[in-house]
Amino acid sequence: MSADLQASAATAIETLKAAGAEDAWASVLQSRNVDFNYRDGALEKVQDTTARMLAVQVYANGRYSTHQTTDLNPDRLANFLKEAVAITNALEPDPQRNITPPELFANRPDTALDLSDEVIRRLDREQRMEWCVLLDQEARKHERVISATSRVSSGTQTRVEASSNGFSGAEESTYCVLGANITLKDRGDRRASDGFSAVARHVGDVPDAISIAKKALEYAVARLDSQKGPTMKSTMVVDSRVAASLIGRLMGPANARSVQQGRSFWADLLGKQAFSHGLTIIDDPLVIRGLASRQYDSEGISAKALPIVEEGVIRNIYVDTYYGRKADMPPTTGSPSNRRVGTGNKSLDELIGDAGDGVYVTSWLGGNADGTTGDFSLGLSGHLIENGRVGRPVGEMNVTGNLRDLFSRLEATGNDPFPYSGTLAPSMVFSGVDFSGT
Amino acid sequence: MHIKRRDFIGHVAAGSAIVTMPVFLSGCGVHQAVAIAEATPENPFMNWFGVDEVTIARVMAELTAHGADTADLYFQHQRSNSLMMEDGIISHANSEISQGVGLRVVIGEQTGYAFTEDLTLTSMLAAARTAATIANGTRMVPPQAFNAKKTGDLYVTTMPWADVGIDQKLPLLKYVDSKSRAADPIVSKVTVAWSDVDERVMIATLGGHLITDHRPMTRLTAQITATREGETQSGYSNIAAREDLAWYTDERIDQMVEEAVARTLVLFEAIRPPAGEMPVILAAGASGILLHEAIGHGMEADFNRKGTSIYSDMMGQKVAEPFVTIVDQGTIPNERGALNYDDEGGECGRTVMVEDGILRSYLHDSISATQYNVAATGSGRRQSYKFAPMPRMTCTFMENGPHTKDEIIEAVDQGIIAETYTNGQVQIGAGDYTFYVKNGWLVEKGKVVAPIKDVNIIGNGPESLTRISMVANDAKLDTGGWTCGKNGQLVPVSQGIPTVLVSSMTVGGENVG
Repeated sequence: MSADLQASAATAIETLKAAGAEDAWASVLQSRNVDFNYRDGALEKVQDTTARMLAVQVYANGRYSTHQTTDLNPDRLANFLKEAVAITNALEPDPQRNITPPELFANRPDTALDLSDEVIRRLDREQRMEWCVLLDQEARKHERVISATSRVSSGTQTRVEASSNGFSGAEESTYCVLGANITLKDRGDRRASDGFSAVARHVGDVPDAISIAKKALEYAVARLDSQKGPTMKSTMVVDSRVAASLIGRLMGPANARSVQQGRSFWADLLGKQAFSHGLTIIDDPLVIRGLASRQYDSEGISAKALPIVEEGVIRNIYVDTYYGRKADMPPTTGSPSNRRVGTGNKSLDELIGDAGDGVYVTSWLGGNADGTTGDFSLGLSGHLIENGRVGRPVGEMNVTGNLRDLFSRLEATGNDPFPYSGTLAPSMVFSGVDFSGT
Repeated sequence: MHIKRRDFIGHVAAGSAIVTMPVFLSGCGVHQAVAIAEATPENPFMNWFGVDEVTIARVMAELTAHGADTADLYFQHQRSNSLMMEDGIISHANSEISQGVGLRVVIGEQTGYAFTEDLTLTSMLAAARTAATIANGTRMVPPQAFNAKKTGDLYVTTMPWADVGIDQKLPLLKYVDSKSRAADPIVSKVTVAWSDVDERVMIATLGGHLITDHRPMTRLTAQITATREGETQSGYSNIAAREDLAWYTDERIDQMVEEAVARTLVLFEAIRPPAGEMPVILAAGASGILLHEAIGHGMEADFNRKGTSIYSDMMGQKVAEPFVTIVDQGTIPNERGALNYDDEGGECGRTVMVEDGILRSYLHDSISATQYNVAATGSGRRQSYKFAPMPRMTCTFMENGPHTKDEIIEAVDQGIIAETYTNGQVQIGAGDYTFYVKNGWLVEKGKVVAPIKDVNIIGNGPESLTRISMVANDAKLDTGGWTCGKNGQLVPVSQGIPTVLVSSMTVGGENVG
């Protein structure tokens, strides 16, 4: 399959060059996804889809533009590519925009990332149905269950890239997801609901269906009779399964574009002690079977581990070639891969025990952060922590502050990085956090 | 010079799709020969997708080979263009063609779905066979002819986006850029983002209907960064509608720029409010986000037929004061959420969810309408041919009430006004929902005393409805480009509301003792 796609990419580049492009980049993507949704004892939805797409970047006369199409009929595609060059010529020159210099293609790692699982390619309907039934039966083992929806999804993807200045690459990857969402009868008209799902590159790394459904049910039951907690300043323990989202908010403006455009609170902190000594974040594209692993980034820059924060000191941010030129910063990589967040040596229970009192967060609800200032405010639900133990369930609360200040108050991290995410983050403890509730 | 481009060319061979010619190009010195379609087919959409009734009937037969309650083919061709200006030059210019057909079979509550981007008969038949595996009944007799429904007129444009050259768009972006920079000397960076979409949809149903819709969409955003004495703040404003180029009058753009600049500059003075429960005044317009999160999603009938919504057992009950009426209406011309037909080919209309305080109707797609034995409300929507439809909102708003904005502000002793928003979210079962307030005001003793910023507000849907204690007479729809996400599918929506007082909500804040 990959050879066909490579030929398509090469043809696209030839066509673009023949139409007047000096340089061009082509990516061809082909994917198949199969989703089974199973609800309350019956198959609810089966979706089986194959998609393909060609994306090109065109460099002509000092100008640049990007184009994608799902219409790969050869005649129409040829027209589309000619038009792409014409569109590029209609723009004004952008002196900072050049194709990736070939020296950044050098030293591509030869690590076998093992992102593709033959078992996933061969999954049949019977196997999917067996998992659905196991998930469904286990998920409904509670007298308050109103409805449970289980999901078994898998996909395979082939991506091929080529450039007019010598880059070529091909990636094959797979994924498999098992999960369940459960709704329980709660007080009055309220429903308590939560769920759990696990995604991995290989089927063998996904927990068995029954364990997943048990966890989903445990999390849903924990939401029963949730009440609003008090307005207070206290300790916040963030469960590892929702820590990645907080790390994502922190790192949102950690890139050259935000810095160059004046919209990043990271801007003046490079090389400085910006956060707690307990915070370390490494961008690691070479995690074996990692959900965000890669040998090169979308500009073809060869992958290598990139320390973002080490013991609270900002070491690097994400810099692509374009905004790197504009901001006068050497390129690192333009986009995150796997983010490994430094772990501690205590379990979640020990962290909660040490916290004494506070709020244990198990899910976020809405909220946002201002990347320019770092100000944030997030909805949450979870449990109160009372005398070092998980207490009554709480919800309808907000946590509000500033991200830089919050991560300066990171007191401890757990030994439990959540494995089913591109961000491998442990449970985290923050002190002196403003909660709003009753 | 401006080269007028036709939006499609023909080489009308049976079974082959018709190409779109892009868009985007003109006045650039490139003069390509473009073949213009001179064929005048009976149905221009069939011609567009290169299919005919015989082909559709064959695919429908394969799709329903094992039975179906309903089935449909959803052909979609979408041409999108986006431009971004940073530092006074276009830093990103993108064009995208997305074309395919989604095939759906429904039996009871079960759905089989597949799509293909290759509109040849062979590929469509293969996709149909995949979708059909959900069923195990007997073969249906599909229609051999499809009756075309009358095309809608909610967003007729004088010039489709496919005919608008980039030379006509660039001056608008430059105008926004220079206007923003000129607005105040402390404006340090300006990002202008543009998008336009030309979408054609053709739906063939098992019932023998053929629905076509030509949907324009456009959005313009100004993002401002300002620096004063070493402090930096940023803010933005945007406008969006199913409109054409002529909609972008200087007056409309000037107003957007003024809003973007004002929302940014006020942040230098803005504080965080105290944390906790307090009265919240929702300013008219964008505060319709309350309706979207607090009740709209909970009223989508898929959640209710499954029993998973907090509103599942409340139909016919009093949920709010008698002056509260909440509507979802897809038929308001040119609104971002407007639709001539929904994505199942159903006619959109006006659905009164709450009438004079009484819960009246869910938002139905064909699956839930059948199960509840009611008429569908034209709420079946999907992001694209890649997805099966489900009940969604279109344009959600509250009708005017008996109070005035001034009365409402005077009634608050200690609280806030929420004015602009970035996003919201809801838990359907518990009913807890949030929205994030970017700009607002602190109110003390009936007076506006200071600007506030960056607070999340959280509440419970049914509780908040009962706490709507005053509704003003200044209802308006927001002109911003809202997009709603549900189960991984994004659709454009609109929202609006008059000034409203909610007697108590939990406001994220600082300065906790």
